[in-house]
Amino acid sequence: MTDETYKNNPNEQEQAQQPESDSGNQPLDAAGRSLSEALRISFIILKVIMIVLVVVFLASGFRTVASDEQALVLRFGKIRGVGEGRLLNPGLHWVFPYPIDEIVKIPVAKKVNLAINSFWYYQSQQEILQQEGPKKRTRINPKLNPIRDGYCITRSEKQDRVLAGFTGSDYNIVHCKWQLTYQIDDPERFFRNVYTENVKPGESYTDIIVKSVTPLLEKLIEGAVVTAMVNYTIDEAISSQARIPKHVEKLLQEKLDKIESGIMVVSVQLTDITWPRQVDKAFWASIRASQESQKQITEARTYAENILNEAAGPVAAELLAALRDETVSEQKKELLWLQLAGAAQEKIAQARAYRTKVVEDAKANAEYLKKILPEYRKRPQLVVQKIYQDAIEYILNNVDEKMIIQPTKGTKGTEIRVLLNRDPTIKKSEVRSKK
Amino acid sequence: MKNITVTIFIILLVAVLGLYLISFQVRETESALVTTFGKPTRQITEPGWYFKWPAPIQQIYKFDSRMRVFEADVGETTTKGAVPIIVNTYVVWRIAEPLAFFNAVGTVKEAQSKLLSQISDTQNNVIGRHSFGEFVNSDPAKIRFEQIQDEMLSDLKQAIKGNYGIEIKTLGIRQLKVSEDVSKDVFERMRAERNRKTEATIAQGNAEATRIKADADSKKTELLAVAEARAKAIRGQGDAEAAQFYKLLEEDPDLAMFLRDVEALKKILQERSTVVLSADTEPFKLLKEMPALTPKK
Repeated sequence: MTDETYKNNPNEQEQAQQPESDSGNQPLDAAGRSLSEALRISFIILKVIMIVLVVVFLASGFRTVASDEQALVLRFGKIRGVGEGRLLNPGLHWVFPYPIDEIVKIPVAKKVNLAINSFWYYQSQQEILQQEGPKKRTRINPKLNPIRDGYCITRSEKQDRVLAGFTGSDYNIVHCKWQLTYQIDDPERFFRNVYTENVKPGESYTDIIVKSVTPLLEKLIEGAVVTAMVNYTIDEAISSQARIPKHVEKLLQEKLDKIESGIMVVSVQLTDITWPRQVDKAFWASIRASQESQKQITEARTYAENILNEAAGPVAAELLAALRDETVSEQKKELLWLQLAGAAQEKIAQARAYRTKVVEDAKANAEYLKKILPEYRKRPQLVVQKIYQDAIEYILNNVDEKMIIQPTKGTKGTEIRVLLNRDPTIKKSEVRSKK
Repeated sequence: MKNITVTIFIILLVAVLGLYLISFQVRETESALVTTFGKPTRQITEPGWYFKWPAPIQQIYKFDSRMRVFEADVGETTTKGAVPIIVNTYVVWRIAEPLAFFNAVGTVKEAQSKLLSQISDTQNNVIGRHSFGEFVNSDPAKIRFEQIQDEMLSDLKQAIKGNYGIEIKTLGIRQLKVSEDVSKDVFERMRAERNRKTEATIAQGNAEATRIKADADSKKTELLAVAEARAKAIRGQGDAEAAQFYKLLEEDPDLAMFLRDVEALKKILQERSTVVLSADTEPFKLLKEMPALTPKK
C-alpha cells in the first residue's frame, strides 16, 4: 500500500508541472523562477525516493533460511522449481518480493516431543500432588468411567483348552503413557497437506506448526496404540517389551505416509504402564508369588550345588555326565576321577589306604617268617618260647591292670570279685572268674 | 525525459492496480471457487495465478484444502452378538471439491456437523457387523481390528462420496472402551485370572524346586554308589596283592599261624584292658617257685 501512496504523488506533481513547461518561452519573473526551481528540486527528491523504494523493494526479496529449516518458494501461489530444486537449503536466498514470490520456511531438523497421557486413569489435582509427597491411600472407584478415565484394552492369554461357550473374547484393561518424537521430513508434502493455523504477529511459525499438528498426531498415535495393544496380553504389555512401541511406531508411520503428511516418526516410547488400581492387590500378590517361587528355585539350586559338592566336589556334574555318556574315553574319565573330592573321594582314599595297609602287612609278615624260619628249624622250642614271652611282656607292659591269681587245688572253684574304677573312662565292671 | 519516466510510472501503476482487480492467486494450500453474479461458475483446485472479471461481476471464494482432523463424540454401540462397547472415532478429511463443498455445506463447521452424523452411522453399521471377538481375542490370529477400521473407512468414503465435496483421508478408533458397569466385571475377571496365575506360579515354583532337589539327591546317591564300587574294587585289588605274600607263609603254616595269633593278641590288648592271669602262666611261674635248671651238656 505504501507503494501506491508514493505513486499517487507524482500524479499531482505532473499536473502542477504542465503549466510551467508551457510558459517556458516567456520571460520569467522572480517568483516564477523560484517556483520552477522549487519544483525541480522536489522532483529530484521524488526521483531519489522512488529509486530508494525500488531498491528497498528488491532488497526485501533477500531471505535467510536458518540451519534447522528448509524453505519452499511459492510463485503466484504455486511451488516453484522442480525436483530437488524446489527446496531451499539453509543460507541467504533472493526471491521476488511479494506478491510474486512467497517464502515458506519449514523447521525440518527440529524434533518435537509429544506426550500422550490419554490412556491414563483420571487423577484429580489433589491426587497428582499427593503422588509427589508421601503416599496416601485414596478411595478408588471400583469402576472406570469411559469418558474420564483412559485405558487400553489388551487381549487375554491364549487358553490351552477351549471351554464350552468360551468365545475367546476375554480382555484386560491396562493404563499407559506414551511419548512420540516426530520430525518433518518432507516439507513440501507437509506444507501442502497438513493444516496449520495462520501465523499471528508475535508467534513463530515453528510454534504454530507444533500447535496445529498436535491434535492430528494425538489422534493418529492414539489410534495406533489402541490398534496395537489389542494384540498383546497384559503381561506382555507390562513387561515393557520393546516390540510394542515398535508396533505402534510402524502403524503410526504407515498412517502418516498414507495421508502424505510428510511427517516422520523419530521414536515412540512407552513411558509408563500399569495395571488398573482396582486390581492392584491381585497383581502384587502375583508378583510376590513369582519372586517367592524364583527364590525357592534358587535355594533348590544352591542346595543341589552344595550336596553335589559335598558328595564329589566341583567335578561332580561333569563326572556323572561322563559316566553316563559312553562316548567319553576311559582316559578322560580317569582324569575326572583324579579331580574328585568330597565324600566320594574319602571313600576311595580309605580304600587306597586299606589296600596299602593290607599289602604292607602281608609283606611284613611274610618277610618276618622268612627271616626267623632258619633259626626256628634249628631250635623250634626256644624260638617259639622267645616269641611267646616277648609277646606276653609287651602285652603286660601296655595293660592297665594286671592280676595274678594263685590257683587253689581245692575241690571248688575260687570266686574273685574285682572292682575296677581307677580310670574314670572305664565304667565300673565286675569281673568274675571261676575256676 | 521527465515525461517518459512519469508515463512509464503511470502505466505501471495502472497495470498493477488493474491486475489486482482482474487476477488472483490460489496458493498450494487452497482451492478456490469463482462466482459470476453470485452463481458458482468455476472451481480451481490447482495452485497458480488466475484471471477473473473485476469485483462486482465475479467473486472469489477460497477454501483451505489441507487435511483437518475431526473427532466424533464418544459413543456406545453394540457389536454383533449385542456386546456393548464404547468407541471414539477420528476422521482426517479435506475439502477436495470447492464447488460441491460450497453448495452442500459451505463452512467447515457445517461440514463437521454433517460428518458427525455420517461417522456415527458408519460406526454403528460396521461395528454391528462384527462380533466382539474380532476386536479383542485371546487368539491374536482372530483379531480383525485393523480390518474393521479399514471397513469403516471405505464405508464412510462411500457414504460421503460426491455429496459434500469432502475427501476422507483416513480414520481410526482412538479409544476402545467398555461401560462403567462392564469395567467392574472386567476387574473381577482380571482378579480371578491373576489369582489363578499366582497359584500356578507357586505350584510351578514348588515343583521345580522339588525336582531340582530330588535330582541332586539322586545324583549324589549315584555318585556315592559309583565311588563305593570303585573303592571296593581298590580294596579287592589290595586283598589280591596281599594274597601273593601268603604263598610265602606256606613254608611253615603252623609257625605263620602262631605269629599271627601273637600279633593279634598284641593288638587286642593294647589299651585299657585288665588281664587276670593264673600264676601257672609263664613267666609268672617264677613267682611260685624257682625253676630247676641244670646245665645241659
